[in-house]
Amino acid sequence: MIPLPRIDPPLINASGILSYPEVFSAFESAGACLGGYVTKSVGPREKPGNDNPVVVYPPEGAVLNSLALPTQSAEDWERDLEEIKLKKAKLIVSVYGGDSREFAGVTRRMSRFSDAIEVNLGCPNKEPGEQTIMESIGQNPALSAEVIERVRGETDKPVIAKLSPNSDYLAVAESCMNAGADALGCGNTLGPGLAVDIRSRAAILSGTTGGISGPALKPVNLRMTYEAYARFRCPIVAYGGIETWADAVEYILAGASILGIGTAFMRKSTQEAAALTRDIWEGIQSYLDGEPMSALVGAAHRTADGGDSDA
Amino acid sequence: MRSVFRVVENRRESEWTHTIFFDQEIESRPGQFMMVWLPRLGEKPFTLSYPNAVTVKKAGAFTEKLAEVKPGDEIGLRGPLGQGYPPLKRPALIGGGVGIAELRLLALASEAPSFVLGGRTADEILFYEEFRELGPVYVATEDGALGHKGLVTELLPVEADSYAVCGPERMMAACLPKLPAERTYFAIERYMKCAVGLCGQCTCSGWRVCTDGPIFPAATVAQMDDFGKRRRSKSGKWETI
Repeated sequence: MIPLPRIDPPLINASGILSYPEVFSAFESAGACLGGYVTKSVGPREKPGNDNPVVVYPPEGAVLNSLALPTQSAEDWERDLEEIKLKKAKLIVSVYGGDSREFAGVTRRMSRFSDAIEVNLGCPNKEPGEQTIMESIGQNPALSAEVIERVRGETDKPVIAKLSPNSDYLAVAESCMNAGADALGCGNTLGPGLAVDIRSRAAILSGTTGGISGPALKPVNLRMTYEAYARFRCPIVAYGGIETWADAVEYILAGASILGIGTAFMRKSTQEAAALTRDIWEGIQSYLDGEPMSALVGAAHRTADGGDSDA
Repeated sequence: MRSVFRVVENRRESEWTHTIFFDQEIESRPGQFMMVWLPRLGEKPFTLSYPNAVTVKKAGAFTEKLAEVKPGDEIGLRGPLGQGYPPLKRPALIGGGVGIAELRLLALASEAPSFVLGGRTADEILFYEEFRELGPVYVATEDGALGHKGLVTELLPVEADSYAVCGPERMMAACLPKLPAERTYFAIERYMKCAVGLCGQCTCSGWRVCTDGPIFPAATVAQMDDFGKRRRSKSGKWETI
């Protein structure tokens, strides 16, 4: 297994949030406590994604999005990543494709820019007429393994398999680990869900349904993190509803060693978002109280007598 | 955050421009924006021109539909969003085309405003008579039908304590070197998706226009290499301005 790069502090953005390298640079310049940045998912060819509205936040604590993986071509992404470099933070490139060959092709182009490759196996959104990646690949252990194997063949960087919570994710994770994944991403958005406007009687999102993020996602992906750690004891990048240091600590105790922030940046200016990352990191550090974070990763798996609940 | 309003009036301002009034006023700071939603058709950002209205120029499928709404129709509004203008003293409000509409609420909130307005023709100089009651109005039209024949930038500099600029980006880029770096603000427009700082689509050199802007101080704009030059399209691919 290839170890993940040292991401210090162990906080990153979630893929599809902030998205572009110039935004990462702006966050870095504003003093954000993010040790790494994840690009929005890079696909093989230009695709506009869904029309607006692509985001709705009707119930308290949940955000639905149906962006459906807009991307410029992988060649144009190469030009962007050539042009805009981060000063210190690590860069993780998220990749997707319609099949394993396309995933591999994008990875081939992106590998030299990345400190790690994150493989998007779980996007639950689509443009009309498409199938979601979650449906076409991410819910199928054999196809997911085929993707990971071909991605693995195109890069010497660590490979993170980012799972869908709407799958038999332990079975998918197992086949991904056997196919050469170095870490698990726990996980993508939930659902998808639906929001209807009762006055116009219309589904609000133009894509009808949208992946659920924010606090509503936290208990689900926290459980995924816990179960994946119990089973694989591998590095886990966790995402889902992390808004405070305490949310982050829950994920650490469940088994995560890198924490992704997404929806918590909603309505925040760059300065405000950078301040939030500092608050989260300072809160984690004071909770650690001098202990290394590694000592607490997976601590929720310990039994009353100091043993291991998964053993 | 998202509410559905009933249209009470559709006022034609010019051949291409309509002001759509709805049944409730919205409290916002001048320069903040609303995401206007036509159910089943789409959603786009607009700045209020009245506390209960947006002014829309027909420029594509969505704005054509929005300009055609009738009293009784329903539209959705999400907002107010983003950073507006700070309070401005004795400002010169510099507007081009439909960007003039955004300056109306700012003018009403400002003491002793003056106006520097540009358009292709007299028809594009929105709220001309109303603005003349508030302060001096300098106009440039490309066809010379009203005021100076030429571009609005040819009327600069003008004497004022502060400046606000809202118009096509190339016009704003031409204004940038002619105005003081202090006390000058620009309204930047980009293709927006989420409009709440998540997706990054509306980046201008890394600043997310929806949450860091859309109103930016000139000193910040001067650091934006992309300003006046390029923007990300719906897919993220660069397009030249």
